Amino acid sequence: MSAFFSGVGVILSLELRQRVRSVSWYILLAVFVALILIVTVLLSFALYGFRASDDGGGGIYSTIIYFVLLLGTLVAPALSGNAINGDRDAGTLATTQVTLITTWQLILGKFLAAWVTALAFLAAALPFLVYATIIGRLGIGTILVSILVLALELGVVAAVGVGLSGLMSRPLFSIVASYLIVAGLSIGTLIAFGLGGLSVQTTVTNSSSYGLQYGTNGVATECSPPVTNEYPAPRFDLFWGALVANPYVILADAVPTAYDSHDQPQDLFGFIKFSVRSAQQAPETAIVFDECAPGNVALYDQRPTARETIESTTPGWAVGLFIQLLLAGGLLAGAHARTKTPAAKLSRGSRIA
Amino acid sequence: MLIVMTSTELLKSDPDPAGITVENVGRSFGDVHAVRDASFVATPGTVTGLIGPNGSGKTTLMLMLASLLQPDAGRIRVAGYSPVSETAAVRARLGWMPDVLGSWSSLSVRNALIFTARLYAMDKSTAAARAAELITLVDLTELADSPARVLSRGQKQRLSLARALVHDPAVLLLDEPASGLDPLARTQLRVLVRRLASEGKTLLVSSHVLSELDEMADGAVYISQGVTASAEALARSRASARPWRIRSSDVNALRAALVASGIEEAAIVTDRTELLVALAGEPAASALLAQLVNSGVAISTFAPAVGDLEHTFIDLSSEEAK
Repeated sequence: MSAFFSGVGVILSLELRQRVRSVSWYILLAVFVALILIVTVLLSFALYGFRASDDGGGGIYSTIIYFVLLLGTLVAPALSGNAINGDRDAGTLATTQVTLITTWQLILGKFLAAWVTALAFLAAALPFLVYATIIGRLGIGTILVSILVLALELGVVAAVGVGLSGLMSRPLFSIVASYLIVAGLSIGTLIAFGLGGLSVQTTVTNSSSYGLQYGTNGVATECSPPVTNEYPAPRFDLFWGALVANPYVILADAVPTAYDSHDQPQDLFGFIKFSVRSAQQAPETAIVFDECAPGNVALYDQRPTARETIESTTPGWAVGLFIQLLLAGGLLAGAHARTKTPAAKLSRGSRIA
Repeated sequence: MLIVMTSTELLKSDPDPAGITVENVGRSFGDVHAVRDASFVATPGTVTGLIGPNGSGKTTLMLMLASLLQPDAGRIRVAGYSPVSETAAVRARLGWMPDVLGSWSSLSVRNALIFTARLYAMDKSTAAARAAELITLVDLTELADSPARVLSRGQKQRLSLARALVHDPAVLLLDEPASGLDPLARTQLRVLVRRLASEGKTLLVSSHVLSELDEMADGAVYISQGVTASAEALARSRASARPWRIRSSDVNALRAALVASGIEEAAIVTDRTELLVALAGEPAASALLAQLVNSGVAISTFAPAVGDLEHTFIDLSSEEAK
């Protein structure tokens, strides 16, 4: 087993030497830091004007984390999307494959190299995250979990890039396809959730009977016959699986939520988490309102708080991460099957050496 | 070195000889039959040339031997192991120099060799020592610490050769090793190839420069349209007429002597100060030379106009065309 990992380590260090140590990579890193700096400064000024009670730190923090995720998922496919087919074009893949390196060592080494490279961008963003945490007086759990999820998301994108670079023979196509998968996860999941929920609808029957006469204590003693009306309601609860595969949703959902005294979430992540968790609940199909029935006055108070909703629903981040890891693992396995030597099948027009 | 042996390998009942054995191997890509029926044996201590026109299946055959491509049919043994089922055992004993020049462009020559050694599971210090040895061997000392992208084609070719030798393999596959080399480097390559053969290694060398292969190869495998030439075809080719080049200070006397010895005047080709005559086989050539010497013509050159390999190559290629 240690022989396996030392082989992976050789590929990893070879990749880092070969790809990362270039001037353009450092320029990209500098541009990345500059962008985050600009966003952080502008947000600080903007939120200072509102004089939010927590100095806007929570808001800044959430936004900066999202910005790091956005830029990271935009950079990672470019770093990983030609890992295997780029080597084939350069004529260095086959010379590596005739050595004692196995295909899995090759693919895992390349994946780790792409991941480490993407993590360098996260590391460069850390000072800004720390700044926002201190200003926003956020808990240590929040920053640790969000950094962890960011790191995992970058790993998923790196795996997708390396996987597609093994599955497709042209580097340009595999890089574009990696971007399309990132776009699919970031935006496509939202569209699937929205359109899916709206296209499947349930009829809700609402029957209400209102008080006609009230007793001295204000309780209705005689009510009208129930008035029934029906209307359609979207079934977002059937499609929450699509929503939680979204990296931004996973991030918001995974971070531990801080609640205020009314059990309402305090930051951007918390609000997103609450709406995503609410989407898991099926709409009530029969709503009965009867003023004469006992206890109905308290109806509105019985609605669960954000804290209760969040605590009673499935942790979507776990489901979402599972879906993403399945996708990433599947693509890496596909790349293995296509890159394995001695090769049985070759795609049209591709040259092995 | 990491060699994973399964029990079947250890208990193998049929110990294949070292070297390369290819039996009726075929490989097609869709409708394209790159290799249809290739058979040959290359024994340790010899250099075997692999010769054939462009697109004849040389590289496909090399890739199958290098354990990169599965054959559709037939049986291959490299150093006694099957590249398909005993891939790791073959790779530990096989060095491959591809025809495509690929190198890690931002790595120095030394680091490229160190990394190659480590891909063969050598530890860091062994890898560094081996890299230093190979740099001296292929004469890249001055460029050892320059990145591979500044190397010329010939220098890259030498780096590629060094890379194939990193793990001191018993079997070497060299695909067009001489292309891009200057005359001095070609001579060095030839010396190195012969030395490796004298150390008991098996070498298979493909090249288009047949005169050069003539100088270094002990034997040759001819492949055309995916089929290796049979022993009979080779014997037929050896017996067929081929041009001999005869040079004399007195061309007219030479021509007269040739006509006198029974060669039709129309069959004699004049090439500057030399005459070319088609002769069938070595005995005919010996007999003619004896006659010419007896007739008193001053002969300064009497030699085949084309090398053995080139003659066979052209003969087999034209036979194919018929």
